[in-house]
Amino acid sequence: MAKRLLRIFGPLILAAILVLAVLVSPVTFGFKKVSAGEERQAAVSLSPNVLKGKRIKEAALKQNYVPFFGSSEWSRIDPMHPSVLAQKYHRDYRPFLLGARGTQSLTQFFVMQNIQSELKNKKAVFVISPQWFVKDGTRKDAFAFYYSQLQTTEWLSHYRHDAIDQYAAKRLLQMPVAKSDHFLYAALKRVSAGQSLTSNQRFYLKAKQNMLTQEDEFFSGINMPSQNLNKVNQQAKKLPTQYSFSKLDALAGRIGKSQTGNNRFQISDSFYNHGLKQELKGGKLAGFQKNLSYTKSPEFADFQLVLDQFARLHTNVMFIIPPVNAKWSAYTGLSQSMLRQFDQKIRYQLQSQGFNNICDLTDKSNVPYFMTDTIHLGWRGWLAVDQKVDPFLTQPQAKPKYTINDKFYSQEWQQLNPNELTTYADTTN
Amino acid sequence: MLSFEPYGNPTYFALLGVAMIPLMIGLLYGKRSRLYETLISIFFLVLTFGGPKWTQGIALIIYILYEVALTWGYAVYRKQKNSGPVFYLLVILAILPLTIVKVTPAVENGQASLIGFLGISYLTFRAVQTMMETRDGTLKNYQVMTFLQFMLFFPTISSGPIDRYRRFEHDYRTVPSREKYLGMIQKGIRYIFVGFLYKFLLAYYFGTILMPKLQVMAMHSRGGFMDLSWPVLGYMYAYSADLFFDFAGYSLFAVGTSYLMGIETPMNFKQPWRSPNIKDFWNRWHITLSFWFRDFIYMRLVFWFMKHRIFKSPRTTANVTYIINMLVMGFWHGVTWYYITYGLFHGVALVVNDAWLRYKKKHRASVPHNGFTQIFAIFLTANLVCFSFLIFSGFLNTLWFTK
Repeated sequence: MAKRLLRIFGPLILAAILVLAVLVSPVTFGFKKVSAGEERQAAVSLSPNVLKGKRIKEAALKQNYVPFFGSSEWSRIDPMHPSVLAQKYHRDYRPFLLGARGTQSLTQFFVMQNIQSELKNKKAVFVISPQWFVKDGTRKDAFAFYYSQLQTTEWLSHYRHDAIDQYAAKRLLQMPVAKSDHFLYAALKRVSAGQSLTSNQRFYLKAKQNMLTQEDEFFSGINMPSQNLNKVNQQAKKLPTQYSFSKLDALAGRIGKSQTGNNRFQISDSFYNHGLKQELKGGKLAGFQKNLSYTKSPEFADFQLVLDQFARLHTNVMFIIPPVNAKWSAYTGLSQSMLRQFDQKIRYQLQSQGFNNICDLTDKSNVPYFMTDTIHLGWRGWLAVDQKVDPFLTQPQAKPKYTINDKFYSQEWQQLNPNELTTYADTTN
Repeated sequence: MLSFEPYGNPTYFALLGVAMIPLMIGLLYGKRSRLYETLISIFFLVLTFGGPKWTQGIALIIYILYEVALTWGYAVYRKQKNSGPVFYLLVILAILPLTIVKVTPAVENGQASLIGFLGISYLTFRAVQTMMETRDGTLKNYQVMTFLQFMLFFPTISSGPIDRYRRFEHDYRTVPSREKYLGMIQKGIRYIFVGFLYKFLLAYYFGTILMPKLQVMAMHSRGGFMDLSWPVLGYMYAYSADLFFDFAGYSLFAVGTSYLMGIETPMNFKQPWRSPNIKDFWNRWHITLSFWFRDFIYMRLVFWFMKHRIFKSPRTTANVTYIINMLVMGFWHGVTWYYITYGLFHGVALVVNDAWLRYKKKHRASVPHNGFTQIFAIFLTANLVCFSFLIFSGFLNTLWFTK
């Protein structure tokens, strides 16, 4: 009987031991090497696996890739998109696009957790979408979609007992996806309460982190979408060989004009045909954003997490604030004065803490062919971004001096009416 | 509180493995501990129906008490009398909760019924079958405790295979010989590992990686004739592969686990993609369900029609019953146009298949039968089935009726 049982269970036990050994072992198995082609593909893939993982991001950012944090605008790949320009004109840097539809500050804070050494004393670009700052902040399902246990365990391996980490733990606990691992959940509860982790928890987290790191090494390169890289290559062909701003600006206008013929909003035809046209029927969308406001939101505190993290790592960041297509907002009733107020509030949060590299495009909402659709930069908009980003990344910059203030985590700040900014600035410190 | 989909993640399998060890040692030494089996059954049922899903747990308990009352009551009654109307009434009562659960989403805008829980269909099949066999007189020795074990046998509770009371009872009351049990362990382990391949590699690839991409492509390519396009065809095959590997994988886990517990739960799939015709397909696909429908709906209806001489020819009887049988199966999946169309499609396919086989028999000389026609038959059957799964998937509903 023993012999027969061994024959049945031997292979099973051996397999279990091997899998466990691979997953728990802290050594890596030579899969770490990421080819240049893989990096090129990953940098524009916008794949959630790349965002959630570590191996590819880390390898690319060690080369000449610069993290471009943001969200849905990255998928608008036209000839003036930062990735296309950087490739065509052989810039010293290449954008590594981080973020896609639904990624907001909280997700980006966790994305930053396992590329810390690649951010430290380096440069980065960060696009702030005003649309993130809605009443309820980040959507729970979108956050769950981009949630990475690997990033969470890595964060818990180096967290500090201060406002930033307590707040991050508290926010994470509000997300249903935090319950996906019961031990991790218990650890988060302790962090949010300001307690230190138990030695069991530290051991578990270490083992889990090892396991997830191995998983990332084995599987992160699988099934990476390639269509965006193809798009970048195709778009690059449309650009003149020599860089000239005036020529490119004229070209951007021409392309924009030729691709926005079928609607009165100067929205790209393909985007318009693709659903918007249907929705516009019956005029349901007229005035539907009349009461929308981006001035009071938990997102302001989530965004503070991002700033806090950049400050800790002394990352020099260029922030981009895109406008909203004015023809569109006039139709939907979205208030331009509310957008200006949002701009004031976010600029106060940035500048009062020493983040002074801001590419504020909010006054460009009326420039023709600046936006590719309703809220996303395109053609001339991308070119305006390039005017700021290229010198920022290619020329030496003064070391930034950040003075972080925890008041930006407070409920009072999140809900502050921008009209009261001056009094708020005077009374708080 | 922990809560798991049955066979959903590595932790579930780890717990299952640990729970099996004492039980397996017992069986190897010729002992079956009812107490231990009951305890682990309760443990895994709590894992599936407890924690955040506790409302389902309550629904399950009430449902089980209700079905016990009906089957037990009928078993006691049947010893004295055998009235048709009483039997029909009790069967209708037994099916009532399932009917409510299936109809609720259709009339309440997709809202799930409160009395529903994972696996209610499969429990209803078991209860109804117990009653029917009691009526036939083939099941004479109904026992509440055995019935409970049969209904709540945790490896198969959520989605079958649908065992039969007497078959289960036989295994449950005996202990296999050591030689036989070792063979069962060997098979059980193999089934579970083939299940891993099916469910976590193949179904994952087709269902999680391929299908969403094809879906997006198909939605983008709308506008042609009936919004059809190549991606729709790709979706049809990917969905069929996902459906098969996902369900066959689950079934292998359920059967494999049963084997480890010394219970020979019947297999659900037998190489369905090599069926040369649709009738053979139903002998190989979701076997325990199609046999249940064959034994307790098809045969009974045919018998009833013949007895009451409803139709003149046996052929018409068979054809009408095929359609009814498959329509019932369609309704059972849910009250939506695509499930019902799917049922109707298979009913008609069975009728056509029968007619063709009769024609072939009559004209044996003129209809060729060789390797090529055999391959063609398999190809045709597989594609027909995939097409029916495209209907079943509900994707056409999305394709045609969403903006």
